[in-house]
Order: sequence, then C-alpha cells, then structure tokens
Amino acid sequence: MDNLNIGRHISGQFNEDLERVINHVMQMGGLVEKQLSDALSAVDDSDESLANLVLTSDDKINQYEVNIDDECTRIIAKRQPAAGDLRLIMAIVKTIADLERIGDEAQKIAQVALESLTSAHKDMLLNLDNLGRRVLECLQSTLDAFTRMDVETAIKIHKSDDKIDREYEALMRQLMTYMMEEPRSIPQIMSVIWSARALERIGDRCQNICEYIIYFVNGKVVRHCAPE
Amino acid sequence: MISVSPKNLMATQTKLDLHNLTAEQKALDIKGLNLFYGEKQALQNITMAIPKGQVTAFIGPSGCGKSTLLRCINRMNDLVDSCRIEGEINLHGENIYSKQVDVAALRRQVGMVFQRPNPFPKSIYENVVYGLRIAGENNRRVLDDAVEQALRSAALWNEVKDRLHESALGLSGGQQQRLVIARAIAIEPEVLLLDEPTSALDPISTLTIEELINDLKKQFTVVIVTHNMQQAARVSDQTAFMYMGDLIEYNDTNTLFTTPDKKKTEDYITGRYG
Repeated sequence: MDNLNIGRHISGQFNEDLERVINHVMQMGGLVEKQLSDALSAVDDSDESLANLVLTSDDKINQYEVNIDDECTRIIAKRQPAAGDLRLIMAIVKTIADLERIGDEAQKIAQVALESLTSAHKDMLLNLDNLGRRVLECLQSTLDAFTRMDVETAIKIHKSDDKIDREYEALMRQLMTYMMEEPRSIPQIMSVIWSARALERIGDRCQNICEYIIYFVNGKVVRHCAPE
Repeated sequence: MISVSPKNLMATQTKLDLHNLTAEQKALDIKGLNLFYGEKQALQNITMAIPKGQVTAFIGPSGCGKSTLLRCINRMNDLVDSCRIEGEINLHGENIYSKQVDVAALRRQVGMVFQRPNPFPKSIYENVVYGLRIAGENNRRVLDDAVEQALRSAALWNEVKDRLHESALGLSGGQQQRLVIARAIAIEPEVLLLDEPTSALDPISTLTIEELINDLKKQFTVVIVTHNMQQAARVSDQTAFMYMGDLIEYNDTNTLFTTPDKKKTEDYITGRYG
C-alpha cells in the first residue's frame, strides 16, 4: 500500500473513503481469484457442485463492481480528486471492469465442467491445465502488484502475457489437429477451445490492469504500446 | 473524401512549450524577479513567460507570493513603502520597472480586478467610461460605443442596458464584479490581472465570471490568482504553483492537474501535508 500514499490527506474523511474503496477492490480481486481457481479445479476434477458454486458466486462479483463504481462516483463528486488521487480513481474504475469480466470468463470455464464429456475428451481438458495454471499465477501476481502498486512487477507481468499467448496458440493448433482427425469430436473440442479462449482473455485483462498500475504510478499511458 | 488519421480524430489544443516561447508568443516575460518587504524576501528569483491570448493561473497556499507576483505586473507594489524589487518584467521587450516607464500608461496596458467588487458610487455608465474620461475622451458617441462594447464583453449588457444611468451600487455582487471587469476592459488593456475575482461571489455568479474569462482570452491575456484549485483547472491554459515565494512548477494546466512533475505540487493539489 506504500506507493498508494493515501493516508496523508489533510481530510481524514478523504483518507477513509479511499482506504475503503481500495479494500473493496482487494476483496473483489480475492473473490475473482477464487472463482478462477475453483473453475479450473472443477474442470480438472469434473466437480459439478464446485462448477455450480462458481456459476452462482458471480453475482457477488457483479455486486462488488456496482458498489465500487458507486463509491468512486461519490468520491469524484464530493472530493474532485486531482493528480495521483484522480489517477487512482480512474485506475480503480477500469480495474474493476476488467475484474468483473475475468469473473465472467471463469464462469465460462466452469460451464465446461458441467458438460458430459467422454473420457477421451476429458484427456483433452488436461491440455488446459498448463495454460490454466499459468493464467492463475498471472492473475495472482497482478492482484499483488495492484495491492502494492508495484510498477516493476506490473511491467514484468505485462511482458509475460506473450507466453500465455504462445501457449494458447500451441493449444489451438493441437485442438485443430484433433478436430481434423476426428470431426465427430468437434462439439466437445469446441468446449475446450472456449475455455482456452477464456483463459487467454483473462491474460489480456491482467495485462490491462498492469497498464492501469503503470498509469497510476508513473502517469504514463502505456496502452497499445510496450510499457517500458 | 476527407481522410482523417487516428491522431487527428481527437485533436486537442496544441501545447505550448512554456519554457521556450517565441517573442511573438509572449505577453509578459518575467526574469529573475526578487521582491523584498523590508528584510523579508517574498518572491525568489521568479522566471517565467506568460503567453499571449491565454489564461494563466497562479495557485498556492496563503502567503506563497502569488498575489504579490500578480501585483508586480502592474506595479501595484510601488505603493508599499518597504517594498524593493530586483529583476525584470518585460512587456513588448521593455522592462516595466525601468525609470522611463510611465506607471499610469502601464496600468492602461495592464488592467486589474480585485477580490471584492469595487464599483465607484456612480452610475453604471460612468463606472465603465471612468478610465476613458481620465484619458481625456469626452466624445459622447465614442463613450456610448465603448460602454456597449465593454458591457457586452463582460456579459453584462443584456442585464443592464435599460438602466445604464442607475447607480452601480444597486447591482448584485456578481454583476458588480462583471461591471468592474467591464471598467477594466473599456480602456482596452493588453493584459488583465484578476486577483481572486470570484472569492466573494456565489457559485452561479462564479460560473458566469469563469465563462466570461474564457471569452476574454480571445481579446486579452488574462492572469488570474485563485485559491480555488478547481477554478484554476477549469479556466486556465497554464498554471503556476508557488510555495513560500518560489515558483515550484509552471506547466500546462491539463498536465499539472493530472500528472504534475513536482511532488510539492502533487501534495498541494491533492490536499496533503507538504
């Protein structure tokens, strides 16, 4: 929280408002991380009840997004934040939008666990495992970097998205080969493709959050270009 | 078919390089300005160029020297006995502190409006033509034209055109302040100095004056001192942040309020302890 530097305002009430909204973002992040982890476990273990839990828990994430949005709107209206405070509020508003979408992607992944797949197709799901673990680590590091507003880590994570993209492409090639070899399995393979696609999108959204961290700390817009 | 490159789609006003303005771009050029009240130094080595046809705001905590600096621009500090000034303020390449400068002529070029509206206890009409009459203008037609022109520029014409010969003291605070601005611009100065022009006004009158400032910059160079940071952010093109007599940061307003260069500026505009 050091880089956030939010405790030094003359207005103690403003400090409290900012601390509250940041705590809510962290709680929301924790919930999103759990959703993704549960969704991946549900697919791994074909655990239907866990998958159902992921599907129903998404409402909480949505509610967090609405509440935090509302808190930020009130802070803008009442405090007219400037400079670092303004950048922080903008970064939070954008981050929660991405977190909410990551929650939606986790739901898509959980949905696959509910589909009745043959054992051969379940083997295919194992291919998701590596990509899933990498993306989960990426999300965890992103949330850590956000908590500490750590630019160096944010830049590293931003760069590491290439690895996720490469792994996703390799997986896609593999799945396409399966489809060509066995056209009857296309519907099941499509489920795996949707999950892989969801994981790849989560990587992109982590990259977005890293861009907001860099914007907050350095005041530099690094969207659509290399962050360094 | 017109082709629009992505860069031009959201084209904003071109940013001036405040530290490298050309002679044509400068309205005022302040160089190494030091000001002392007796032994106490109130301004320390201020160097900045104020661009023509734009609004420049001075912000900073009480006692930082922003009003003192503003008053230097039309030599109001000459009236303070213990005040000593070193350095230069150049208008058209001529130092306004050189011995040859006629202070009355300087103040015709650099008008000033103060915190509290101070209309004279005369009619609205006489308030506006006061400066012109002092300059020897008595032609009724010229004065009538000047009154209409100045009141229109000050966004007051429609409200007072039917009662020009009534006392100015019957106007509301916001109207009085706009009348004072009309009085200042009737003599067509090049630079208009505004010292906290809205601090005694209600929010609606404040917005009217802010809108007026935006219109005035088409004709004049405006320099404004304000305690209200949001006002500086709303009305100015560039902002100077001062602290304890030093010019800490002088930057494009958009940059200063979103990504200031100096930590002291950031602490001040975000309401933190220094």
